[in-house]
This record gives sequence, structure tokens and C-alpha cells, in this order.
Amino acid sequence: MAKILIVDDSSTVREQVGEFLKENGLDFITAIDGKDGLTKLQGDSSIKLILSDVNMPNMDGLTMVEKIRNDLGNTSVNIIMLTTESNPSMKERGKAAGVKGWIVKPFKGESVLATLKKLAE
Amino acid sequence: MSSVTKLVSKVLILDNAVECIGPLKDFCDQNGLIGLSSHSNNILELLSSYVDLGGILIAEDYTESLQETAKLAYQIRSSRPELPIILRRVSNAGAEELPANIAQHFCATYTIEDLSPLHKFIDDYIFSLVYPNALIRGISEITLQSLASQFKQHTVTVNAPYVVRDRIIFGEVFSLIPLESNWCRGYMMLQTEESVLDVFIAGNDHDELQHIQTPFRVLNNLIGEVTNLIWGAFKNRYINEEINHSQHSTIQVPLVINHQHKYISFGTENPQLCFKYNLFDDKTGLYSSIYQWFIFNLYWSPEDFQEIQTSVDELIDSGELELF
Repeated sequence: MAKILIVDDSSTVREQVGEFLKENGLDFITAIDGKDGLTKLQGDSSIKLILSDVNMPNMDGLTMVEKIRNDLGNTSVNIIMLTTESNPSMKERGKAAGVKGWIVKPFKGESVLATLKKLAE
Repeated sequence: MSSVTKLVSKVLILDNAVECIGPLKDFCDQNGLIGLSSHSNNILELLSSYVDLGGILIAEDYTESLQETAKLAYQIRSSRPELPIILRRVSNAGAEELPANIAQHFCATYTIEDLSPLHKFIDDYIFSLVYPNALIRGISEITLQSLASQFKQHTVTVNAPYVVRDRIIFGEVFSLIPLESNWCRGYMMLQTEESVLDVFIAGNDHDELQHIQTPFRVLNNLIGEVTNLIWGAFKNRYINEEINHSQHSTIQVPLVINHQHKYISFGTENPQLCFKYNLFDDKTGLYSSIYQWFIFNLYWSPEDFQEIQTSVDELIDSGELELF
């Protein structure tokens, strides 16, 4: 079964998003920052979608995306940023790095569920 | 620059003269002060009930002698040095007629016949910083939205904003996050009590949290996330990406926190902008509150304040997915 990787330094967000995915029959694992996200992705080939924060300690979300695309050469996993950031240059950087979409927190799962399911297939 | 909001501030009035109550009440009403009076015999203990004061008005005959009143002012200043104290003289004497060892405990004096020094007092010590209207309104909006996203089944309200000079920390938990822009540099601080977690659990039906071994960690994470949400929304609304790295953007001062006395110093005497949010769980009647302080201790230039204009095309509601 395809998995979703939630990358966020906030355990509150990891729990809230995870709870929502679970309620809707989606499988997930979590990572606490970009560095942990890279490790988890490399160790689990069933991950099809990443939901990642931007501002995190150790490694930020956009750096993680750039490493996934450039260093790991993984162009197939879908990545959506889930963040408080909404400034255009940040989005442009994400877009250029291969981010598929952008959600400004707080997370309202119902409105994006259909898309998440599709991207996690 | 937008217009400014008239803020209020709480002052403790230590004055037993019945004939002064009316004029002082009128002065407070007309000048954005909320006068708090008390007949407590233990003022220092009383002060521990108030952690959000702007200053103290005391009468020289509040105690049995001027010397005793000065002694009390000294004790207050020792425990709460950030609170300015102004002395009401019983005659038309000015501060210069007070002995130096007494005058040093007060920032100014006034008489009930001449309240003009009180105007200068509040201008100099309490309402010394100007806050743009759009900023105050916006802070309330984004904070209410951020709190509502976490306290989903609760009623969340905000009181009228006010300014404080106090440095006493409310409750048991606080978060701090820096705010940096061309027009401000400082911190946002959220303060609350652990009871806020009871309200959170009651309203969100988190049965699993009832038995958790370390609920304080849940609270820490919750307050951290609320802080993060507010910070992000504040940044998106008010802070341009291009921070001007001029001289003011490199200055730092140490923050000092005294745990025993629940005291925090940001290295400035500036008054702080304060909001109080109320969280109610309607089902159980549980209530808690969160205090939000804005401390622009490193730089404050309200004339450069601007709200970031976003075109309708760029506008994406929070929670919505913008696909690239």
C-alpha cells in the first residue's frame, strides 16, 4: 500500500495530519525534519507522497526537496509543502525544485483529500 | 501610515481619599486608563495578582506618613522596578520639595487640583509607543484564526488590546519567537497556564490524552504550533521578504529570565503591546486564557509599517491546495 510521509518538526501537526490520513484510510509515516525525511524516504520505497513543512531545524523542507530531486535523483515522489510560508519567492523556489503543490497552514484536510489520495496512488 | 488605535492600560490606584476618587476616575476614563483600586493591607501580595499593569498612582497619605509611603514605594520598586510610580501630593508642593531620598522612588508628582503631570506621565511611561491600527486589528484576526484552528470546538474571544510595563510572566508556559522586518525587530511571546490543556482536551474529545504520562509536552507542542501559525501569518501579512540589513538589523540584547520571580527582561523600558485571548469549552464550562505580548525591543519604526498587498489572483485561502 502506498504511503504518505509527513515531515514536520511540530508533533502537533504530525499528529493532526496523521490522524486525518488514518481516518480516511491512508497509510503514513512521519519524520521530524528534512534530514529525517530524507532518511525515511530512502528506507521506504512505498512512499508516493510527501507532505512537508518548510521551516524546520537541521534541514528545512525546501533543501530536503532539492536533495530528493538532485542528490537522490528521485523525480517520481510527489511533494506538497504544508507551511505557514506564503511568500511568492519561497513558492517559486519550491516550484523550481519540483514541488507539486503548496498548502498554507492550518491544515484543512477535507478540502484537499481527493487530491492527496490521487497523488498518493 | 494608517491611523492609530487608542489603547488602554491598567493602573493600580493606592489612594484612600474619597474626594479624589471622582477626579481620578474621570481622568482614567478620558485617558485610556483602567483604574484598579484596592484596600488590601498587603500591597506586595496584592501586586502578585496583577501581572499586566502599566503603572501605579499612590497618595502620599496612603500610609500613616510620607516616609512610610516612600518606604512602600521602595518595596514596590524593588520587586517591580519596571512599574512607574507617581505620587499624589496632598498640597500643591512639587517634587523639588520632597527630600531627595524620598523623591527618588517616584517618577513624578501631581496634586488633585493639577492633573497635568499625570498626562505627561502616561505619555512618557505608558503610551509612549504608537501602534498602527491595521497592525492591532490584524494581530487579533490572525491570532483568533490560529487559535480556532487548534481549539476547533471552542469559543475563542479576544479582549481589547492594552499596553503593559510589567515584566512578570503569566502562568506556567510561555513561547517566544523573533519578529524581524524593516519596521520592527523584537519578539512575540505567548503565555498561558497548564489549565489550557484541560480546555483543549475537553473540547477536542482527545480521550487518549486523558491518560498520557507527560501532558505538559502536549501543551508545549500545542503552544509551539499556535506560535508558529501566528508567526507565519504575521510574516505573510506584514513582513516583506527583503529585510533591509542596515545597522538596526544586527543589534541584539540579552534576554534575562528569572524563574523564581517569573520575571523576564528584554533589555528595554518600552511598554509592551498585549492581547488577552479567552478559550471556553462550552460543553464543560472550562475556561483558560492566553496572553500575547509584542515586545519591539530592538527596533520600532511604525511610520515604515505597511501591510503587504496581495492581488486577488495570488490569494489562496489557508488550508487550500495550490497546485503548480
